[in-house]
Amino acid sequence: MFLINCPYCGERDQSEFSCGGEAHIERPKQPTELSDDQWAEYLFMRKNVKGIQFERWNHIHGCRKWFNVARDTSNDKIHAVYKMGERPPIK
Amino acid sequence: MSKNLRINKNKFIDQTARILFKFNGKKLYGHKGDTLASALLANNIHLVGRSFKYHRPRGIMTCGSEEPNAIVQIGNDPALTDPNVRATEIELYDGLEAFSQNCWPSVNFDIGGINNFLSPLLPAGFYYKTFMWPASFWEKYEFFIRHSAGLGKSPNKPDLDLYDHQYAHCDVLVIGGGISGILSAKLSAEKGLNTILVDDKNNLGGSTLYQDDNAFKINNENSNIWLNKQIEDLKKLPNLTIKKRTSVAAFHAYNYLLARENLTDHLSLHERKNKIRQRLWKIRAKKVVIATGAIERPLIFSNNDRPGIILSSSIKKYIDYYGVKTGENVSLFTNNDSAYEAAISLNKSGVKVKVIIDIRENPNSVLTEKIEKAGIKILKGYTVIDTNGYKRIKSFDVKKLSKDGGSVVGEKITYTCDCLGISGGWTPMVHLFTQSGGKLKFRNSDNVFIPDENKIPSEQISVGSSNGDFELDDVVNNTIKSIMVFLKLDKSNYEQLNIECSKEKQKRNIWLLPSDKPMSKTKPFLDFQNDSTAKDVKLALREGFKSIEHVKRYTTTGMGTDQGKLSNMHALGIIADTTGTNMGELGTTTFRPPYTPLTFGAIVGRNVGEFFDHTRRTAIHNWHVENKAEFENVGQWKRPWYFPKNGETMNQAVQRESKAARESAGILDASTLGKIDLQGEDASEFLNRVYTNAWSKLAIGKCRYGLMLNEDGMVYDDGVTTRLGENHYIMTTTTGGAANVLTKLEDYLQTEWPDLNVYLTSVTDQYSTMSICGPNSKKIIKKIIPNLDLSDDNFPHMSFKNSKIDNVNCRIMRISFTGEHSYEINVQSNFALNVWEKCMEAGKEFNITPYGTETMHLLRAEKGFIITGQDTDGTLTPSDLQMDWIIGKKKYDFIGKRSLYRSDTIREDRKQFIGLLTDDPKEVLEEGAQLVESLEKPIEMLGHVTSSYFSPNLNKSIALAVVKSGKKLKGKKLIVPMENKNINVTITDTVFYDKENKRLNA
Amino acid sequence: MLNFNSPIKEEKKYNDLKIIEVEPIIKINLRSNKREFSTKIGKILSILPPNEANTSSGNEKFNLLWLSPDEWLIYSNDNKMTLNDQKNLEDKLFNEISKLNQGAVTNVSDHWIMINLNGNKVYDLLSKSCPYNFNDFKNKKGSVAQTIVNHVDVILHNYEDNNLNLFVRRSFSEDLWLWLNDSARLI
Repeated sequence: MFLINCPYCGERDQSEFSCGGEAHIERPKQPTELSDDQWAEYLFMRKNVKGIQFERWNHIHGCRKWFNVARDTSNDKIHAVYKMGERPPIK
Repeated sequence: MSKNLRINKNKFIDQTARILFKFNGKKLYGHKGDTLASALLANNIHLVGRSFKYHRPRGIMTCGSEEPNAIVQIGNDPALTDPNVRATEIELYDGLEAFSQNCWPSVNFDIGGINNFLSPLLPAGFYYKTFMWPASFWEKYEFFIRHSAGLGKSPNKPDLDLYDHQYAHCDVLVIGGGISGILSAKLSAEKGLNTILVDDKNNLGGSTLYQDDNAFKINNENSNIWLNKQIEDLKKLPNLTIKKRTSVAAFHAYNYLLARENLTDHLSLHERKNKIRQRLWKIRAKKVVIATGAIERPLIFSNNDRPGIILSSSIKKYIDYYGVKTGENVSLFTNNDSAYEAAISLNKSGVKVKVIIDIRENPNSVLTEKIEKAGIKILKGYTVIDTNGYKRIKSFDVKKLSKDGGSVVGEKITYTCDCLGISGGWTPMVHLFTQSGGKLKFRNSDNVFIPDENKIPSEQISVGSSNGDFELDDVVNNTIKSIMVFLKLDKSNYEQLNIECSKEKQKRNIWLLPSDKPMSKTKPFLDFQNDSTAKDVKLALREGFKSIEHVKRYTTTGMGTDQGKLSNMHALGIIADTTGTNMGELGTTTFRPPYTPLTFGAIVGRNVGEFFDHTRRTAIHNWHVENKAEFENVGQWKRPWYFPKNGETMNQAVQRESKAARESAGILDASTLGKIDLQGEDASEFLNRVYTNAWSKLAIGKCRYGLMLNEDGMVYDDGVTTRLGENHYIMTTTTGGAANVLTKLEDYLQTEWPDLNVYLTSVTDQYSTMSICGPNSKKIIKKIIPNLDLSDDNFPHMSFKNSKIDNVNCRIMRISFTGEHSYEINVQSNFALNVWEKCMEAGKEFNITPYGTETMHLLRAEKGFIITGQDTDGTLTPSDLQMDWIIGKKKYDFIGKRSLYRSDTIREDRKQFIGLLTDDPKEVLEEGAQLVESLEKPIEMLGHVTSSYFSPNLNKSIALAVVKSGKKLKGKKLIVPMENKNINVTITDTVFYDKENKRLNA
Repeated sequence: MLNFNSPIKEEKKYNDLKIIEVEPIIKINLRSNKREFSTKIGKILSILPPNEANTSSGNEKFNLLWLSPDEWLIYSNDNKMTLNDQKNLEDKLFNEISKLNQGAVTNVSDHWIMINLNGNKVYDLLSKSCPYNFNDFKNKKGSVAQTIVNHVDVILHNYEDNNLNLFVRRSFSEDLWLWLNDSARLI
């Protein structure tokens, strides 16, 4: 169980959160103008890296806010937590 | 046998309190403070169990959690019996009953002992090699192999004991109450840090507690006296919690640790009543100090497993702490100074030590001198080559070691004995460190793996012998030094300690001691519990296994309940020696939690029985119970399934309920549907984007059915949404989808469309919903709310009215899931029970019939309405469901729209939703049954039945199904092959009843 | 008059611990990210919604709990408030805020059930199944935490020392009540 520093509520146990997969995948503004391949890129393709991965998390049993987390998938270390709409503070 | 080996000096054991216990049915006595092992030894019992594979007699070897041999079955109550309990850990209590394991008919005469004589035929991998070919024979072997496998007996009745969990948060957690743990905890708590100290024993102090020899002094006091003063001071510190009998099982990332506290295992059975047996602590520590100590290593020589062969430090503890002599004719065999400590203790207690075999050629320290002065013989540069005796060691053979230690030379000398103490040096307990993600480094000087200070994964530190400091001066000085840095202390009371420690660090390491016999004629055991020998490891290497992890699994070394605490280092050493690899490069096997076995009870805590899962109840639940409803679990909700009357079967009840709902009036508790309150000026636009159909033009006071998709175009949820005001809606979701829909909608609002001004609030529990349907529903509503105009003009289908029942506001919707004229009353939950009762009262004259989920499912199936999650499974688009009418083609975008014309979603041979009628109208299909066109092989599966019922209103069987290209196959005959018959069916429309929807306004 | 039926009708006492359901209490959920919202609430309730996370504000009549940067919960200290008065308060807030597009006002009086836990063992009890770190919470009157107790969502409000109000969804309330009482006897 990690500790996640919710940007709104502070540090809480992982069991209060749920993970929403890879971050920074923006929903296309004009889906109808995309080819099948372009749409599939948005819909299905995910990186799943070993190392630092940018993820969306939801404080589902707390303030219900979504935010971003930079987590190292090899050791679960969280390197940064930042709000929706913000750019990752690390690379 | 019935000798008393207790000596009379002792402050740890209360010899005035005699405790009766039974071992293998025999009445014995011990004292308060004993473990089962110390009490058995005091009764001169060494033989405790049989080994796993060869059924060799085995005795108590250690005094702690590393014990591989002395594991017993406790108690014989089928609900409470406990297998694989280490006799060295369980505290003696009045009435304790223990039994030997893995032997039949008895530990003294065990039929399985024949395996010992067959052992040349049972090398590593024997089972793999022998019983794998031909593969088809495995089924025949399996029964016999499984029958002889396993150690203890598991209880076969539900556990009657109570277990619970507790979270704790602290600044510093100190694991281990030995001298380094005591000092760490004291420094931490004195600094004002909120500190928890855990130790698996019932007394703090570790091995220093009984180290009363004047060779070990701190500030001119014997080390045990000095430590005791520290412990007394420690207990007075206010911000320190001490947890005794508590063993840390797991050390996870982010300093999250699990520790099991034994609360009643040391009490007599009648004292345990209504008490928690074990508590699992879930500890979150800002900083962790690992002070778990070290375990003494055995030495590996032929027949090193006989009862009576004991680790030297354990002999010392049995004599100094428990006051128990492990034998009367004791010799010691060592490669370091530790055995001399035991010799001093034995000597003081009047036990004659016959000889000390030391493989070092020139041991010289204050300790060795002391022993020589006491007139005890030391054979320097010698080794034990073999032992004799079956159920107890009787003698051992000794020869001189060659200079390089690779062979033996000279004459064999034989010594008689009844106990042989062995010491192969020490292994730091790094389990928890590596569990947490730490990496080890190998120290060549004394062949130990210790924590690598550059590869520490969290705020933690290892101190004392778990960090590789084995001598008193190093332990104390280094612990203080590193804790001061770790906790950022600027001063401590311990800076000017004067420590006298007379032990010499010199050690001669030989992983596998030579013998005068060929290897094949020896039995040098590595893993005592699993009976793997040095020979097995060598065999595995010869057969090509190289990775330590593979050797482990092939030979089963380290795979017993002790997880190889004693054996792993030697296995590694032998691999390194044999392959010429450096041990540091070889690495270790992975240390996995738990450190010592956990009971299932401790793992699940109170989440058993009624607390196994949650039960959500509607506000009307108690009425359903009183009216004998059978319940169905829907998610965590308890929903009435059907209401049997006068011994009706489910089928009879459902047929009656269904008929009543269509002929007169039925009432359903629909409170479990998810309800979301939407407010904000962009609420209509938001609905346009999340549902497939258009919402902007929905008038205030009207309701509309909506279908929600995932971005992949598949149907996700559905429900009716009502426009309560200009910018105010209430959305309903399916029962099971409620939480997920809210999360998903919040997700879109917060991340994709933050510009929309819409606020969502769950009101699922705020409102209870009862649905009254049937031709008489109008009359019933009229009776309850006389002043509400129920005319179709004023209150048409798919509209809503605010109203009042007595003094309570409610919302009435005219919507229908049954196809009948019907109303839904939504009222604040705390008044719902009374409203329901009023409906029942008002409906009495119309035979209002409460119905459950089964009738609801049947009625909607007659109308061909889908249930998401039953008829859909995340692979069906609206078009697959023949619901193209609900897709707002003119809308620019909504969730999932783009996916509706991907190449895959427009395929014509997708599975599509259709109706089915059986040729025999009485034949009801099974839900999930497959549909095929012909029975000629290979048979193609065209689809499956999703819903199936006998309709009392149509007097025939109906079903809904998904079938490849189903939309164009209306009228086609298909076959449902069942186990003992084939059922002929015809594809039809999905609407079976009232196709013109006349009944909605009836 | 319709009968009021709350799910729990008992009061339980243990050593150093008392557990009781306090109902009926009006509870209103507020949501807004508009600037004027705070002033409007101040005018109606004479309390400002707290901006600081995990805190609350209050007076003798009402408590206003922070739930998220755009969400608050009002609950009254008065379980004698008539249905009419409750309705009037809700309407007033709704008309001033929701109708004017300043946020959302939702009556959740029956959505949440309020259980009062009082006594020295309060935090020992909750910590049996709650991963939340109460070390700061328990020393700060007015603290608010949304977390899970026995896997069920709850809102906790530190009302006074060792005296807190726990909000749980009505449908889970009997289940949690059973758990609380089962665990209270095991402290």
